[in-house]
This record gives sequence, structure tokens and C-alpha cells, in this order.
Amino acid sequence: MDTDTGAAPAGTNEAPLVHAVDVCKRFHQLEVLKGVNMDVMRGEVVVIMGPSGGGKSTFLRCLNHLEKIDRGTIEVNGHPIGYRRGSGDKLIEESAGVVARQRADIGMVFQRFNLFPHMKVIDNIMLAPMNVRGVSRAAARRRALELLESVGLPQKADEYPSRLSGGQQQRVAIARALAMDPKVMLFDEPTSALDPELVGEVLETMKRLALENHMTMVCVTHEVGFAREVADRAILMDGGVVVEDAPPERFFSQPEHARTRQFLSKIL
Amino acid sequence: MTGSIHPGVLMDFQFPVFFNALNSDLFFVPVLLVIAITLIAQTAGVILGFPMALARISKNPLVHWPVDLYLFIFRGTPLLLQILFISDGTAEFFNNPPLLYPITRNPVVAGTLALALNEAAYMTEIIRSGLQAIDPGQYDAARALGMTPWQLTRKIVIPQTLRVSLPPTVNEYINMSKNTSLLTVIAVTEILATAERQYQANFRVFEILSVAAIWYLLITTILTQLQARIERRFGERQDIAAQPGFATRMLVGFRRPRPHEEPPEDIGGH
Repeated sequence: MDTDTGAAPAGTNEAPLVHAVDVCKRFHQLEVLKGVNMDVMRGEVVVIMGPSGGGKSTFLRCLNHLEKIDRGTIEVNGHPIGYRRGSGDKLIEESAGVVARQRADIGMVFQRFNLFPHMKVIDNIMLAPMNVRGVSRAAARRRALELLESVGLPQKADEYPSRLSGGQQQRVAIARALAMDPKVMLFDEPTSALDPELVGEVLETMKRLALENHMTMVCVTHEVGFAREVADRAILMDGGVVVEDAPPERFFSQPEHARTRQFLSKIL
Repeated sequence: MTGSIHPGVLMDFQFPVFFNALNSDLFFVPVLLVIAITLIAQTAGVILGFPMALARISKNPLVHWPVDLYLFIFRGTPLLLQILFISDGTAEFFNNPPLLYPITRNPVVAGTLALALNEAAYMTEIIRSGLQAIDPGQYDAARALGMTPWQLTRKIVIPQTLRVSLPPTVNEYINMSKNTSLLTVIAVTEILATAERQYQANFRVFEILSVAAIWYLLITTILTQLQARIERRFGERQDIAAQPGFATRMLVGFRRPRPHEEPPEDIGGH
């Protein structure tokens, strides 16, 4: 695979890794997603931006079925997520066991880290490989130590999460997700809960993941520097739809839509 | 009055009677019985409380209504009434069939059962608040890792609930040890009943009740020590863990540093 990071992968006829069509969702009266279409190719890094309430986090949570959807299709690696088609295109929700297996291939990193506080760092990372994938303790431990090394925290294996800074906790959370060897990583505002001086270390880890490991990534974030440097595409979501979808250089300098310009004028 | 103080008012504490009673083996079996009933009834309450707490937070009314009704009854009526109900009431109500003899003819069993059923209601609430104290983000993280509901319950929910519920649960053990004294009314020969029987024979009420009080204090002090130890071990906030109790301070003084004064390297290093 080439390491060219500037442009999106050339338009081959390869199927997209994440394929979302007409995704709709409402919370009671409130329509949060009004037909979102989005394709993410293998190895691509997509940054989703937009005002709060625009549906970006909800959409991300739909991608691994942490939220149910009311209409549409989400496929990851060719498999529909969370539902199968019934008669007349009706969505039938899969059982919890099936959904769990589907989620195992989709890594997710949360705004509030969500490490398991009753487990040491190393056990946080080993938990899912051992229980979900059936990996042996020794192999899980070896892999966990490798991952801790790669996020720059090899000496923290036997600490409890509460003894770590926010930035360190988020890097452990990234290692925990990577331990499942996911096909795609979802980042839900991974730096929003961090003190400003800790944002850099997390972005650096994400950057290396994209540039060195060629991980497919969907990131909800407002880190413009990260988007410019790493992303293949930047997307603006507002009012429950995708407003703008462009390479970052065009997205930030000459966006097509007035709504994007308006949003950028507030954050730049 | 210039004479001696009236003997019946203040000075009539007969130390020989007190020390003889304290020294005798009169309370040996009753103390063991109280400890046994406390451990069995409270542990049964904990075991019953867990599924009831899970049922109580269920969204299915057929699952949570029976538990709601149970709590309504067992928290809304006096424990003493429940003890009499189970010990004496069941015999009359069911016309005392041989099947119920283990309960109706054995006050220790009936009393332990009543204490356990009553305690289950309180443990349900303690465990429920422990369940609801779990950050919703924990469920998100476990699900996103591909864990099934059962794996999530076993690896995340139960350990985190136990951590939050443990200190109040040990508190319930302390309460239970004192509540066993209510079993006096159904003729269980626990500490208080033994004391009553004794002072009815020798008419030294104050001395004998003092001895009984000392035995209860011994049991609750041991449990309190245990509680402090558990809270130091499991308490998330090391700095607000239990302070040494009255007995500790009297016995060993203030020499032991309080948890937040320990150097950080020592935390968890025992």
C-alpha cells in the first residue's frame, strides 16, 4: 500500500468499507438523522464536523449499532450492521449475540474515554480479545504490551485508569480498541474532554495510526489541524444530513456551501 | 441530705455480679448463635437482593411489579411484626402442616428466615443504587468491544456494583447483628433473651444488661474493624475512607496514620 496521504485513494471500483445509505433516526419527535449517505473506502480517514445537534455523534453511534436506526442501511465490510431485511424492506433487528459479533470488528473511542475503572490498564486491553475472540491470556498480554508501547505508555500496564491523565487514558482507550484488530475505527470527539495541553498526545497517536498503520478512520472532531494534515475527506453534517463532503484543502479554503462557510467562520 | 446517698439511686452497681456474669460461660453459646444468625440471614439477604435489584430496574412491568410489591410490604411494616408473622402467623394460617414444622417448631429457623426476607428488601435497594451508579459510558465501551450482554454483566456490571455496594452492605451486617435481639420475642435464646432470663432470676437488671451490651459491642466492633479494612481496600476515594473508630482509638491510640497521610507509594501495596 502506498503511503501517499494527500489525496483520497484513487477512484477504483473497490467496494467501500463503510457504506451508509439513507440513514434516518428520530428520538421521539426530534428527527436527528434525515437520510445520511456516506461511503468510506478502505484506508481512508474521514473527519466529520458540524454544529452540536447536527447528528454527527448519533450517526457515528449508528455505525456500530449503539443507536438504532429507523430507516436506511449501514454496511461495514459488506455486512449489514444491526439489521436484516424482512419482507417489504422492513428492518428486523438482529439478536444481541449477532450484533456483538458485528461490533467486534468496529473499534470505537469515546469522548469520556470509558475505561473500565475496576481493571488495570493491561486488563482493560486484554478483556475483549480474551472474552470475545477467545485469545489465550499469554497472547492477549503480549499484544496488549505491544499496543501500550505503540501508544507510548509501556510503563503504565499495571496502573489503574484513575491514576492516569486524561490524555493517557484516551491513548489506553485507543490501544484497547486496536486490540480487537478492527477493520475501522470510530472516534467520537476524542479530544473534547481533554485539557488543552493533553490534546496533542492523543492527536499524535491518531495521526500515527492513520499514516503508519493505514487504519480506516471516521472521526467526529473539531481539530482543524488534524483534519488538514491527516484526513482524506472532511464532511460537514448539519440538520441531520451531509452538507459538504470534500478533501480538506478545498473544505477549509473554498467550501461549496454557504452553511459550511458560516460554520468555519465560527471555528477558525 | 447529709447521710449516705440512697443506695437504690446511683451506687448500687454490684461489680461482683457484673464480673461474674461477664466471666461465666452463660453468654458463650448465645454469642455464637447471634454471630451465626447474623452471617446466615445477612448473606441470604445479599444473595436474594441481587436478582431482585436486577428485576427492579427492568422495564418489563411483569418483572418489576412483584419486586415493588415485595419492597412495599417488607419496608412498610415493622421487622418485629414480620418476625411474629413468619414464626407464629404461618403456623396458624396454614393450619401447621408437617411440611412447615422446620419453621413453625424451630424459632431459630423462623427468625433467621424473617430477618433474611426483611433484609432482602433493603439489599435490593442498596444493590439497585450500585447498579444505577454505573456510568452509561461503561455499557457503550463494553458493547463497542463486541461483548455480549452476559459478558458485560459478568465482567463490568457485577464487579462495579459490588465495589459501590460493599461498604453499605457491611453496614447492614452490623445492623443485622443488633436486629437479632428482636428474636427474643419468639424465644430464641440469643444474647438478650439469655440476659432477661438471668436478671429475672437474680433481679440484677442493670448489671446483666451491661454484660449483654458488652457482648453486642464486641460483635459490632469486630464488624466495624472489618468494615474499615474493606473500605480501605475497595474505597475509590482513599482520602475519605473510614476513620479509626472509638474502640481503635482507645486501644491503639492515634499512632496509625490516616489513609490520606500515607505516602503515595504505599497505596495498594500491602
